[in-house]
Amino acid sequence: MLAYTLRRIAQLIPVLLVLSVAVFSFVEALPGSIVDTLVGTEGGDIEEARAILTKEYGLDRPVHERYVLWLGRALQFDFGKSLVTRRPISTELLSRIPATVYLAAVGIVISLLIAVPLGTFAAVRRNSAVDYTAQVTSLAGISIPEFWFAILCVLLFSLYLGWLPSSGYVSPFEDFWGSLQFLILPAAAIGFRQAAFTTRLTRSSMLDELSKEYVDTARALGHSERKVIFKYTLRNAMIPTITISGLQLANLLGGTVVLESIFAWPGIGRAIFEAILQRDYPLIQAGVLVLGCIVVVMNLLVDLTYRLLNPRVTFA
Amino acid sequence: MSELKADKLVDGTLAWRAPPPPLVRRIATTISNVWYELRKSRTASIGAVMLVLLFGACIGTPWLATHDPIKQNYRERLQPPSEKHLLGTDRMGRDIYSRLLYGGRRLVTIAVVAVTLSLVVGVPFGVLTGYFGGLADTIGMRIVDGLLAFPGLLLYLLFVTVAQAWKFEGVMLDVVLVGALALAGMPEKARLARGSVLAEKQKEYVEASRAVGDSPARIALSQILPNILSPLIVTATVRLGFVILIVAALSFLGLGTPPPTPDWGSDLSAARDYMETHPLIAAFPGLAICYTVLAFNLFGDGLRDILDPRLAER
Amino acid sequence: MTDEANKKGPESTRREFLTATTALAGAALAGLPGSAEAEPKRNPKRGGTLRFGTRDDSIALDTHRNIIYFVSHPLTGITGGLVDFDDKMQPKPAVAESWDASSDLMTWTFKLRRGAEYHNGQTIDAESVKWNIERIKDPKISHAFTRSVLSDVERVTVDDKHTIRFHLKEAHAALDINLIYYPVNLMAPGAVDTADTHPVNCGPFKFKSWRRLDVCELVRFENFWETDSEGNSLPYLDALVGRPKKEDRVRLTALRTGELDLIDNVAYADAPAFKKDHGRTFDTWNVPQVGTAMMFFNVKNGLLSEKDNPDAHLLRQAIAHAVDHEGIHQAVFNGIGEISKGFYSSASPWHSKDIEGWPKFDPDKAKALRKKAKGGDEKFTIIANDTFPYMQQSGELVHAMLKDAGFNAVLEILPSPVMLEKQNKGDYNIDSTANSYRLDPDGWYGRNILSTAPENRRRIGYKNEKADQIILAARKERDQAKRRLMYADVETLVNRDLPMLYTHFVPLMMAGNRARVKGFNVSYSGPWSYTGAGMRRTWIEG
Repeated sequence: MLAYTLRRIAQLIPVLLVLSVAVFSFVEALPGSIVDTLVGTEGGDIEEARAILTKEYGLDRPVHERYVLWLGRALQFDFGKSLVTRRPISTELLSRIPATVYLAAVGIVISLLIAVPLGTFAAVRRNSAVDYTAQVTSLAGISIPEFWFAILCVLLFSLYLGWLPSSGYVSPFEDFWGSLQFLILPAAAIGFRQAAFTTRLTRSSMLDELSKEYVDTARALGHSERKVIFKYTLRNAMIPTITISGLQLANLLGGTVVLESIFAWPGIGRAIFEAILQRDYPLIQAGVLVLGCIVVVMNLLVDLTYRLLNPRVTFA
Repeated sequence: MSELKADKLVDGTLAWRAPPPPLVRRIATTISNVWYELRKSRTASIGAVMLVLLFGACIGTPWLATHDPIKQNYRERLQPPSEKHLLGTDRMGRDIYSRLLYGGRRLVTIAVVAVTLSLVVGVPFGVLTGYFGGLADTIGMRIVDGLLAFPGLLLYLLFVTVAQAWKFEGVMLDVVLVGALALAGMPEKARLARGSVLAEKQKEYVEASRAVGDSPARIALSQILPNILSPLIVTATVRLGFVILIVAALSFLGLGTPPPTPDWGSDLSAARDYMETHPLIAAFPGLAICYTVLAFNLFGDGLRDILDPRLAER
Repeated sequence: MTDEANKKGPESTRREFLTATTALAGAALAGLPGSAEAEPKRNPKRGGTLRFGTRDDSIALDTHRNIIYFVSHPLTGITGGLVDFDDKMQPKPAVAESWDASSDLMTWTFKLRRGAEYHNGQTIDAESVKWNIERIKDPKISHAFTRSVLSDVERVTVDDKHTIRFHLKEAHAALDINLIYYPVNLMAPGAVDTADTHPVNCGPFKFKSWRRLDVCELVRFENFWETDSEGNSLPYLDALVGRPKKEDRVRLTALRTGELDLIDNVAYADAPAFKKDHGRTFDTWNVPQVGTAMMFFNVKNGLLSEKDNPDAHLLRQAIAHAVDHEGIHQAVFNGIGEISKGFYSSASPWHSKDIEGWPKFDPDKAKALRKKAKGGDEKFTIIANDTFPYMQQSGELVHAMLKDAGFNAVLEILPSPVMLEKQNKGDYNIDSTANSYRLDPDGWYGRNILSTAPENRRRIGYKNEKADQIILAARKERDQAKRRLMYADVETLVNRDLPMLYTHFVPLMMAGNRARVKGFNVSYSGPWSYTGAGMRRTWIEG
């Protein structure tokens, strides 16, 4: 297991290298230049200003040189300054990433709270009305565009009912209860959608477990159905559900852009999106790289956990 | 035994192998099985009916549409459904019904082509790396992992933005979108294909082919590939629905095809301004997206039950 | 919006735009229906926090390096300068108590207010103002747009602690006005090191914290120089919290649910219904002309340029005949505001009725001219900036109208950096754009019509000797009525030559919670540099 873990960690290095090259090339290929937008078009001394900025930002050096320089600094967690705000990028990331993690994590928790009972019940009462309802609802949940769903929620809960604020963000470290108010709608929008996946997954892994021999044995031994389900099968069936939720969480970090803009949530996805529109090169590069690291590390952790919980998987 | 035939002598021994099942026949069989099975799976049959209607509408668009989808007429803007405009008109006075038809035709085409392309690129990639293993596998999979590490929508965002530099317009813009979607969908297919190949590689028929000296590429592509098609078809179907949602999200963020091209995502996004005063304008494209994604999901779901016998028992 | 629209990121774009925004706000407001209705007079109260939702946000904190978009950047609250406006759009004393120009308009002398301070307690003296002007003139530091205001300034000298003198290269009749319109704001020289992280300026509010596109917190500057008529120090508010929310709908919803007290940019689609359904609980303030929307034709090169196509003028006429202004008025602006035949709307002192308009909407004539003209079947490109909905929508509509007339047109909606590149390279034929309102008309004609102006050369390439002569002569004309007629002649030439097609004046509506927000009003530069009203005299009730 240890050898396997070490090997997997070693494999992350080339993956991250590929990612860094990919993001650097994409940024390099973006049309339009930040220097043009920063120097403006009037003032008579545009050319001079442009030359000064180009030099200051090091954009006059060849691409490969810039890449090596950037990578070297990134390895020391020095991402430089935003070309637009001139503030350190690490500060920017440190304020944005927690907001997105908070949103995504609570979204996943909501999805589990919905999906686990619903999926379990659907599996236990297979082909019952509950089962069909669960299946149809979850299919419908996957099929609704999240931004549409979110806007409808805002119309209903904020505007017509007036129960919740329509947008905004308060840090949970400053005011935990206050932050929940703002969190509920976007997190629920994520939660319902993710629940649609998770319900199906829970149902099928539950069915998988229920068809196994140990269940029959347990029943034959006279254990109550309740005990069989909650004590034995559910625990095993949870393994894939939890691990997939981990993967979903990682993927959500960059996937909440749309909800972040609807709910004016100051997350990392929207920060990167704005940086792309503005051509704030170092912010895009650092943002994608850091998120990428989180994603691959999460994937690895999920993988390792899965193997720990489920020793039948061989260490191939 | 009658199905086996002596193919050639290798080192003086008779090597046996299964006749390579012709791809066409396999697919034909699969399809006929599917039709047969469809009647058993309620979800699949509902999905199939919905899809037939959808594709029918896409193919029949030029005949079904009542107006030019990009013809504006501000004198008739924001009208409720009527005999002349079946679903009313939008903020520019364009016929919503006709825009839905043309937008759907475009969107479904983009999704189908993109997913097909990601299969065409991703599957051989996965099959070959999986089959050969070793260095090719390591390099190939690291590339795939690198692309997968782009979180969420960011890969699309970057790709579509970069594409603005290329002087594309009209249909070519859709082609770029298709390229981005295919590129982003490729790793998933490659991984899936590779996983299946690793499992399939150990089986006897592969051993047999290898024994008779078929080239590895031939074995991988003509023997193994057909055997791992089922999970790929299922994934691809579900992926179609997903791709449609991505295109809609990109349009929502303003990175879709520019107006006046009919596009469900950007039509929906533009209709947000009128959500309270004219809710129907936003409702129609939203419902159209839901319908289409649901159709693909229902069908894919049913298909999974049918093609995966282990699940089908349930 | 406007030309500036394409200068800096999306934000800067707007900023300028709106700088103008409130263009005539003030003036217009005076007699504008729909403006906040008169209420029984109440006494202002000190204290309270105003929550202001904006469409836009500043892109960074250094107010010299970045343009502050007056109307839509909460950060504007920290800025202050030598001069302010009143509701008639006349320059009024701010940090400068009085000023004077030499008779040849080559030297301007400003007397500074005694006792005015920067947020860190530093005194605003002539040396510090000089330092500011020099910092803004430094191409290594300042934004080109702000710098351009001072391009005629040769040098600045200090007469004594409270007197500063601007020596110009060329006579300039509107230096004082431009110092406000173009935000030449003052920051404390002693705090320059923290300009990017914690700016120290001299406006009515002090900087507290900022998270871009999320929140901008400002607190009252206790030593601000202004007092009300009863001698109470201004501003009344204790704090101002800016909440940028890009989506118009999100912002409006937040106002209606009580999360915000005041918002800018109510979407045109929402404005009429909002006023009708919620007029009892919310006040609205209209700015009749934030700017002017238009189609720029690229006459530098390509199909619509005489240089590359002898029939270019015929083609531009065909395009003008194909455009139905009423359609833009309805479909883009939802029937709000006015169609424009020149740069200044009827709310402006520079508006003129003596303008010969553009070619009338006549699809048949458009088709005939197109067929006749060389290059009428060739493909041409319409570009529009992705930041302002009305620019996109006007582009979309004009595209559809041209298609109707048989033109082979394509539309591209692009972010600012790409727009800028295309404009510089002349890689477009029509640019659906807008320009912010300029207080002094030379700011428009002298920058966009005059053939030697860099902005005209960069984007349009228009050259008409007669127009040039009039514009140059108008610069020296001190009689406003005569000057207005001169510019009307320029507009007539523009509408004949068609280097651009004016389409519509850009209106803007702000809205606020009537029960809470009192005393608020908007002016030319938004609620900020506004003597006697605006944010400084706003208070919160309840």
